[in-house]
Amino acid sequence: MASTSGLRTTLSKMAASLTGLLKPWTPRVLLVRWSRYNPYYLEPEPRKEVYHIPETELTPEQKEERELKSVRPIKAATNSVTSSVFNDPVLSKFVNMMMKDGDKIIAKGIITQTLENMKRKQVEKYHKAPEGKKAEIECNPYAIFHQALENCKPVIGLASIQKGGKFYQVPIPLTDNRRRFLAMKWMITECRDNKHRRTLMYEKLSQELLAAFSKEGNVVKRKHELHKMAESNRAYAHYRWW
Amino acid sequence: MAASGGRTVGSFLWKCGNCCFNFNTVSSNLTRQVLSRQLCVSAVLHRKNLAAAGPEKFSEEFIKKQVEEFNIGKRHLANMMGEDPETFTQGDINRSIAYLFPSGLFDKKAKPLMKHPDEVFPKQRAVQWGADGRPFHFLFYTGKQSYYSLMHVSTGSLVGSRWLLKEELEELLVETISEHDYARFIQLMERLLSLPYCSVEEDFVQRYRRQLEIQSSKQQVQPLQYDQHGVAYSTGDGRRKTATGTVLLRDSGSGSISINGTNYVHYFPVLQDREQLMFPLHFMGVLGRFDMQCSVSGGGHSSQAGALRLAISRAMLSFLSEGQVETMRQAGLLTPDPRIKERKKPGQEGARRKFTWKKR
Repeated sequence: MASTSGLRTTLSKMAASLTGLLKPWTPRVLLVRWSRYNPYYLEPEPRKEVYHIPETELTPEQKEERELKSVRPIKAATNSVTSSVFNDPVLSKFVNMMMKDGDKIIAKGIITQTLENMKRKQVEKYHKAPEGKKAEIECNPYAIFHQALENCKPVIGLASIQKGGKFYQVPIPLTDNRRRFLAMKWMITECRDNKHRRTLMYEKLSQELLAAFSKEGNVVKRKHELHKMAESNRAYAHYRWW
Repeated sequence: MAASGGRTVGSFLWKCGNCCFNFNTVSSNLTRQVLSRQLCVSAVLHRKNLAAAGPEKFSEEFIKKQVEEFNIGKRHLANMMGEDPETFTQGDINRSIAYLFPSGLFDKKAKPLMKHPDEVFPKQRAVQWGADGRPFHFLFYTGKQSYYSLMHVSTGSLVGSRWLLKEELEELLVETISEHDYARFIQLMERLLSLPYCSVEEDFVQRYRRQLEIQSSKQQVQPLQYDQHGVAYSTGDGRRKTATGTVLLRDSGSGSISINGTNYVHYFPVLQDREQLMFPLHFMGVLGRFDMQCSVSGGGHSSQAGALRLAISRAMLSFLSEGQVETMRQAGLLTPDPRIKERKKPGQEGARRKFTWKKR
């Protein structure tokens, strides 16, 4: 590749061990979760506004981060990431989770239809509502999506821990990523399994998301059930050792 | 008998006398203390370090007032002595005071003194916490915050530098060293940096560190070319996962893009691919500025879009300044994506999928 040959000529003075860090590589011992990037590479930052903050308003940590970024190579931005205002990492994750057999076009299409459907329903409600109630109705589908997902996220989870031959359901704290994953997973499985066969996915999703937005519906019920189980198993909380 | 009696009486009297003498001295000490007046209230006379004792006893306004009074008094003294107030030094003050207030006392601390209030009043700490009661310094609750923060002074930024490599160290020392020796050396240097007061040895440590190169300097930027009408243009090419693309970027255009002869909307019906084409232009804010003629082959629609994105970013470099090149690099637009299809392994059905496990 043109870039790597250029790299090699400019790096001729540096020792071989450092040139090895900048090429696409395969690690010597292949772990299960490895990547073609050397761990030396840093994650890219595609948002525009981050680069327009003037020098004076940076904290010392941000200054150090900038210094580090200027000396380290950066990974390439993925296909689904842009600097556009419509690029939402949470929504992208949801699209990926809905995708079957790598067909992102269909998954993205369903999500777009869902957002449009939600907007239509909310605008209809808005026009039918009396003057006083109009301000409370949220019409932005992205805001509804985020709020609905927030309402579905469990605060505490259960883990199966073996003690003395028996398995106990022990309440454990969940990381942010895990909570988001569970909320999305419940939403998708609920829409796929528990709805009428003939309704289309976008219709099912928009119904469920609007219900979660107002804290009703099966997904928030499932979250509450998980919380109740964790509360009832409170006595086993000390079985957790981490 | 009489002599011994006399001696005991004498000794008894002597003892009484001693007691009386002691009694007298005690009472006279007390009277001396009651009758004596302290000439100067300065804490410098006291042995204890009052500064560390408790909260501030002298407020800032008080000290400021003292300083003003001292300066005015200095000028008065200079006028009295008939000397120039502007060039009146501390030595002159001392001599004037010794002349005007001759003291027969022997104790140096008892003699009259006129010094700058900063020397008289001990340095005190201002209030260590804000209006909400939260202390300013992160080590406040240790009790000795300045001492412990001194212990925690770290070396200058180690972010942009790396340790010497084994070969470079060998070159420096003019000796051969084994890998174990080198590993031990790095271990000890890291340990040195983790200890308090490591900033004292900063010079020593920096001798064994080398600055890392700034990555953006490795970007090769082609110079701008001009065609017969004077319009600037540049080319770029990119690859992604067996798709190769080339792009010709023309300045002062209207934002039209043609790929392999067809319009980009027809060539890439998927929104995501078109967004990828727009990404470098939108990031730099030059959406309507360039005209593009692209050609692409190989791969699928996503990899073609990725190849074109890289080609567009590389072609745009000629139009941009150094800082903008660095921001594009940090956004991940200039790195060729190294991800390829993972090979199929023998004994497995695919790259990861194993054959169906059969119990027997």
